[in-house]
Amino acid sequence: MRGMKMTTENQTFTEKFDLLGCIQCGRCTGGCPVTVRTNLNVRRFVYDAYNEDLLEELSRVADIWDCTACHTCAVRCPKGLKPLEVLIGLRSLVVESGKTEPTVRDALESTFMEGNPWNKPRATRNDWMEGLDVIVAEPEQKVENLFFVCCTIAYDPRVQVTARNIVNLLNKAGVDYAFLGTDETCCGSEIFTLGEDGLFEMLIEDNTEMLNEYQADRIVALSPHCFTTFNTHYPDLNKPVIHYTQLLAELLEQKKLAFKDGLEKKIVYHDPCYLGKQSGVFEEPRSVLKAIEGVELVEFGRNRERSLCCEGGGGKMWVESESKIERLAETRVKDARALEADIIAAACPFCVLTLDDAVKAEGFEEEMRVAEIMEILGELEVMQEKPSSAQEVED
Amino acid sequence: MKIFTCIKYVPDTSEAEVKLDAGGTAVDSSRFSFDINDADNYAVEESVLIKEKYEGDVTVVSIGPKNSDVMIRMAMAKGCDRAIRIEDDRIASYDPLMVARVLAGAIKDQEFDLVFTGCMAEDYGQAVTGVALAEILGIPHAAYVKKVELEDGKLKAHRELEGGLMEVVEITTPAVLTIQTGINEPRYAPIRGIRQAQKKELKVVNLDDLGVPADEVSAEASQIVLEKLYIPVVESKAEIIEGAPEEKAEKLASILVKGGLL
Repeated sequence: MRGMKMTTENQTFTEKFDLLGCIQCGRCTGGCPVTVRTNLNVRRFVYDAYNEDLLEELSRVADIWDCTACHTCAVRCPKGLKPLEVLIGLRSLVVESGKTEPTVRDALESTFMEGNPWNKPRATRNDWMEGLDVIVAEPEQKVENLFFVCCTIAYDPRVQVTARNIVNLLNKAGVDYAFLGTDETCCGSEIFTLGEDGLFEMLIEDNTEMLNEYQADRIVALSPHCFTTFNTHYPDLNKPVIHYTQLLAELLEQKKLAFKDGLEKKIVYHDPCYLGKQSGVFEEPRSVLKAIEGVELVEFGRNRERSLCCEGGGGKMWVESESKIERLAETRVKDARALEADIIAAACPFCVLTLDDAVKAEGFEEEMRVAEIMEILGELEVMQEKPSSAQEVED
Repeated sequence: MKIFTCIKYVPDTSEAEVKLDAGGTAVDSSRFSFDINDADNYAVEESVLIKEKYEGDVTVVSIGPKNSDVMIRMAMAKGCDRAIRIEDDRIASYDPLMVARVLAGAIKDQEFDLVFTGCMAEDYGQAVTGVALAEILGIPHAAYVKKVELEDGKLKAHRELEGGLMEVVEITTPAVLTIQTGINEPRYAPIRGIRQAQKKELKVVNLDDLGVPADEVSAEASQIVLEKLYIPVVESKAEIIEGAPEEKAEKLASILVKGGLL
């Protein structure tokens, strides 16, 4: 393993992850949320990985798969390092050897073959659109907002509602938009964190080429994972990428959107790691929820940068932790219960799925529910406050 | 150890609704994803494991369209050394005997110790190709193999029988083994490996190149006529058993006994 070249730039592992920059202060492990339920000690891995003779042995330690890529360690590192990426680098060694868990293997193969990690055919990617008036994008057609749905929202029946409801809202609000056809392909967020560098590079290359062809002013991502991945790992995209909650906040501020009826509920907003601590979008989702009359918006003790990870990211959808200790999502819903919230609002498909499971596991189904912000908005009558004559709205 | 491993590109019918084409003799596959046949994936892994342990080389053989090259490259990324893809519209590919004749045409004049196939293909589910191939090549076979042991030139194949029973047979090589799923855990083919596998030889041939007379493997030669495909009418019958738990258990037991299940 000595002198092993990890990347195309022929950097060593130590160079690639700037291991010598680490001062071993331990803020990474101190802040790491999964340490309450697993043995993961990211500081230790950063220390040990400096010895390149140990890399293969380290890559066989199951703990490397406990990381949820929440980025708390990166946010807190005083040296600006990304300790989690050392774990991803070790995962890459496993992936390159071919000896991955079958669930990881299948997710990666499905992404390579069909453009999504869920073992679903590419041809059925837009089945969620059935029965809706959706404008599907054509590359040569100019459009303001080009929507990128996300594999999980496109295929998972629990969260498809996010896309379906936003289509109805866009139509009613007269927004200039279009959705990608079945050529929409995984952004690679989870492929990156699962350690498949080669496939991630391929997705970046192919998606950049595909997305750059569209005559759109900007891309609107429904999932924080796609949103952050495009903004962090796609240097050659020729248009900005925003999250849909940013678009909604903008429409509300410009008085192009309003909600006719109110909702007398106590809502606690859960900051998704990929939207909040990784991309700094904290206020827009809150301002959308506050725009609903009657809503009492309350806060978790751990909110914004300190938001507790739901454990849905970092490829964890395909790798189960061995720990039998309470899941972080369960801790989160207990916190919401203590706040007597009626609804835990989230703006990420993975958060919705993990928190939803936790509500069931804790038996809180009678008292509260988990809802994607679009799910809540879908229950309201949407108005176009200032009708725009520029666009014909199909209804 | 020279190995030939036969693989097939098949639709995954588990994730999309199965619809028939207008003629009623073919499935509309436009909404399916395609991938290596499950059992063939295990056959690829087993051949690579044997190569890694005993040295040798593995040639992949497949009948299929250009689209299936990606599956072949993945097999080569996992460790197979070269590939032959046979593409010819004249092959009656629904008839496993015709398929076996074509595969035999690609293998028979080569030097080989083992031929692997999957035990069954997910599309037509006949489980015949590997066995027919052994017959045509004039060599022994073992079907539904769940474990392979090689010692002092002897090959022991553990065959999975019904009811959890395993049968161990010793057979001489060359031989055909049809591989059962679960014999190993197929590895992942990383994309960098697939790109490197572009350098390995993938020979595309037709029946004429193989010297296989088309009239021996075409629809005319086949003794099978595919009459029609249809989707059975879904029927369901549910009986809700009412009463106290003890009564429910008694009623359930009596139903099972009457049905001959207990």
